[in-house]
Amino acid sequence: MIAYPYGIADWNAVVPIAVVGLAALAVLVLDVFARPYLPRALALVLALVGTVVAGWACALQYHQHLAAFGGAFIAGGFTTVFEEIALIAAAGTLALYGRLGRDDRISGIVALVLWATMGAMLMAGAANLMSVFLGLELLSLALYCLCGISDRPAAREAALKYLILSSTASGFLLYGTALLFGATGSIALSALTAPQLGGDPLVWIGLALFFVGLAFKLGLVPFHVWVPDVYEGAPLPVTAFMSVATKAGALAVFARIAYAALPAGAAGAMLVPLWVLAAVSMVVGNLGMLAQTDLKRLLGYSSIAQIGYVVTALAGTSAMGMRYAIYYLVAYTAMNLGAFAVAAALSGEREEGARLESYRGLAYRRPYLAAAMMLFMLALAGIPPTAGFLGKALILAAAVGSGYAWLGVILVAGTAISLFAYAKVIYAMYARTDDRAAEGVRPFVPLAWASVLACAAVLLVMTFYPLAPSNVLPLVR
Amino acid sequence: MIVLALVLVPIAVGLALPAIPRSAERAAKTIGMLAAAATVVLAVAARGDEWTLHWLARPFDAALHFGLTPISFWIALLAGVCTFSAVAGTSGVRARDLIALLLLSEGTMLALFAARDLLLFALCWDLMLIPVFLILVRWGEHPAVAWRYFLYNFAGGVVLLLAAVAFGLAAGTTDVIGVPGVHLAGTWVPWIMAGFAAGFLVKTPVWPFHTWMPPTYTSLPPPAAALISGVQSKAGPYGFIAVGLALMPQQMQADARLLIVLGLIGLLYGAFAALVQADVKRIVAYSSLSHLGLMLVAICSFDPLALDGVLVYIVAHGLFSAALFLALGFIEEREETRVLARLGGLDRHDPRLAGAFHIAALAALGLPGLAGFAGELIMLIGVYRAGLILPAILALVAIVTASAYMLRLYQDAMQGPPRPELPVRRDMTWSEGIALAPLLVALIVLGIYPTAILRVDMMPYVPAVQMQVQR
Repeated sequence: MIAYPYGIADWNAVVPIAVVGLAALAVLVLDVFARPYLPRALALVLALVGTVVAGWACALQYHQHLAAFGGAFIAGGFTTVFEEIALIAAAGTLALYGRLGRDDRISGIVALVLWATMGAMLMAGAANLMSVFLGLELLSLALYCLCGISDRPAAREAALKYLILSSTASGFLLYGTALLFGATGSIALSALTAPQLGGDPLVWIGLALFFVGLAFKLGLVPFHVWVPDVYEGAPLPVTAFMSVATKAGALAVFARIAYAALPAGAAGAMLVPLWVLAAVSMVVGNLGMLAQTDLKRLLGYSSIAQIGYVVTALAGTSAMGMRYAIYYLVAYTAMNLGAFAVAAALSGEREEGARLESYRGLAYRRPYLAAAMMLFMLALAGIPPTAGFLGKALILAAAVGSGYAWLGVILVAGTAISLFAYAKVIYAMYARTDDRAAEGVRPFVPLAWASVLACAAVLLVMTFYPLAPSNVLPLVR
Repeated sequence: MIVLALVLVPIAVGLALPAIPRSAERAAKTIGMLAAAATVVLAVAARGDEWTLHWLARPFDAALHFGLTPISFWIALLAGVCTFSAVAGTSGVRARDLIALLLLSEGTMLALFAARDLLLFALCWDLMLIPVFLILVRWGEHPAVAWRYFLYNFAGGVVLLLAAVAFGLAAGTTDVIGVPGVHLAGTWVPWIMAGFAAGFLVKTPVWPFHTWMPPTYTSLPPPAAALISGVQSKAGPYGFIAVGLALMPQQMQADARLLIVLGLIGLLYGAFAALVQADVKRIVAYSSLSHLGLMLVAICSFDPLALDGVLVYIVAHGLFSAALFLALGFIEEREETRVLARLGGLDRHDPRLAGAFHIAALAALGLPGLAGFAGELIMLIGVYRAGLILPAILALVAIVTASAYMLRLYQDAMQGPPRPELPVRRDMTWSEGIALAPLLVALIVLGIYPTAILRVDMMPYVPAVQMQVQR
């Protein structure tokens, strides 16, 4: 008689993750047989069906709070929300592969995207130090490969840069994990809440190292230097994925720790450096955007600032702040994926539609695509009538409400700086050009256009029907 | 629901217009004129109608709440008429796209004036800047102008947005425009008022926040300049009345002295600057600065009569500045110059155009019988009655100067010996006539019968302390 350590309930909690992983395997198996026929369409359809099924399975868990594998993974509520964000990112990324990438590599790419998504989903529900690390590494390893799969030398450079710097950050995180384990004797995040740990230097150092690793993944200043370089070099869909899924996963871990896994009494003081990092990120990210001429680089700096906004919402760890952070994160997902989808729709065989040059006069060639891009830029800048506006207004209210008015002031200042950079893109699209005829019109890309449309619709609907999940606390059992 | 249709019709038509072929210019113009005319009808039908949808419950109550107040009813009518004229006066290359943007601009402005919620008001405030920015980018004379417009107005808009959020946090709700008896008081109020005032002062514009305005109005294509100077600049005075006076009366009283000084400086500076401009559009732009300064002084006199005058003058100024910009556009199109010194004697060849321009110029200088006079006179009586003797005298100086610069503009451009070097083109065409006619007819009708607007009850906007003094 064998005693199984885990029962049905444990496996139920990870069904969405398992579906994504199985979809990836199915894509690879199918590739063996179907390669001569329609490799791209089959792989993408299979993967998209997998994400949709996983999303549905995930949604079913929303009202439950399941703890699985001895508390290593918590499903439902908060986890569901972040898993859905990761799945949306995956679907948006797959949509961009409708044309980009080489046909003979597409199955591998699709499988890697799905595995990276698994990693992000695991991070969303990770409730002990080991599962955090497991999710993070699954995500990162897949991304290293994805960054490198391209014929452009810049992509290889980006992959190597990302590998070296990201591994260093993982090292920090792992070392912090070890110290925390040493201090508490447990890998459960809930063990960190004991009040007496507040005076333990080992916990302080461990958490500091842990947060350095997380801040690197989030791209907070001063751990942000890799972001613009890697974003610029990586293939367009991978950049889109990194700008959303990685951030969502790391934010989930950060939020879980900030809200529910810090020593009672000392939590406020321990988090102050993070709020400072958020403030600096909002300024540096927005300033960095001003001089960029490459859309991916520009969005890289933009993501540094945007994550600063989300972390600002969490400042003070209020329940309201958490809801607004999620609201803004969902909006950010839509605006970023939308902007990248526009870039993908403009991409040709050889180059990606990432140079700002290729947007010059877009309003004449593709008026509706230009209008959508304008909407995404306005959303990123936080201008009505987009969810970006409402999200920032809510974050501002949350920050002021929980006594972090200074963060609110910096958020506004950062927004004012960023306006100029986003307006530069809009200006390029709408400015008069003389070489309008020279720029050929790219063929219609259905999948990318559909993604653009969906993202634009989400942004508009979210403005007038703001739905922030209320069922996200508590985070740790 | 009608008020929602009022807001959405121009936006929907504006968004759909790029779908028709670029060459179908006449069709685009017809659709645009019909849509603008429809907004006039809808504005009349939407009087008293409200539409509301719950928006936010936390951190403060907010609603997507549209409805025309008695004040914004008249501004909505003005917007409809001005848009009709602007669309009718559009011609040249890429007319379809310009018409689409003019309609979008109208829709966002109608949304602003119909907004009954402060957060929605702030949202529409930023929104209405976007079509103008796009027009400047595509039709403007220099990129720097678009950037200057953008930076000034978005900075004002962001501050205004913050003020709206702060208002919500302080009052618990932002669904307050047009609700009687809501007065905010407390330690934050000076800052909230300052935030709103910053947005209003930049948009109006008021000295010293006006430096974006002359290049913007000069650089915009004439129909857009007509719409922006005619309607969008009224967002400032409207905001001071509907937000400042109605919601924060005590703070407005505390700030009144400063605002009156700024208004007076703008009033005189604009008038004198208009005297010496070489570019005809700049003359009208600076005259706008002067007229809007006068409105600000009248608003800050807190006299109900002066406020009635402000409303009459909001409509009158919208009408005549739109007519002036359109007419100057027609002149520029014919003579290919905007430099006043190079124009002259146009009334020999273009008597109809000269006549139409004459009416608009006379309304601008405040000739009795035209709407401009009615507004100016009532404002001045109100300001005088409120005890602001010196501002009233200074305003008179500016009004006299207005005669000087407007007559200079008319005489130098239209009268005198014809210039042989100027190309001779045909007189005003039918479509140009259709563009100017509604504006001029409205100027005359309101000049004879301003009572229609004077019926609006301005007492809710008069601060309580002021009312005691008056009794």
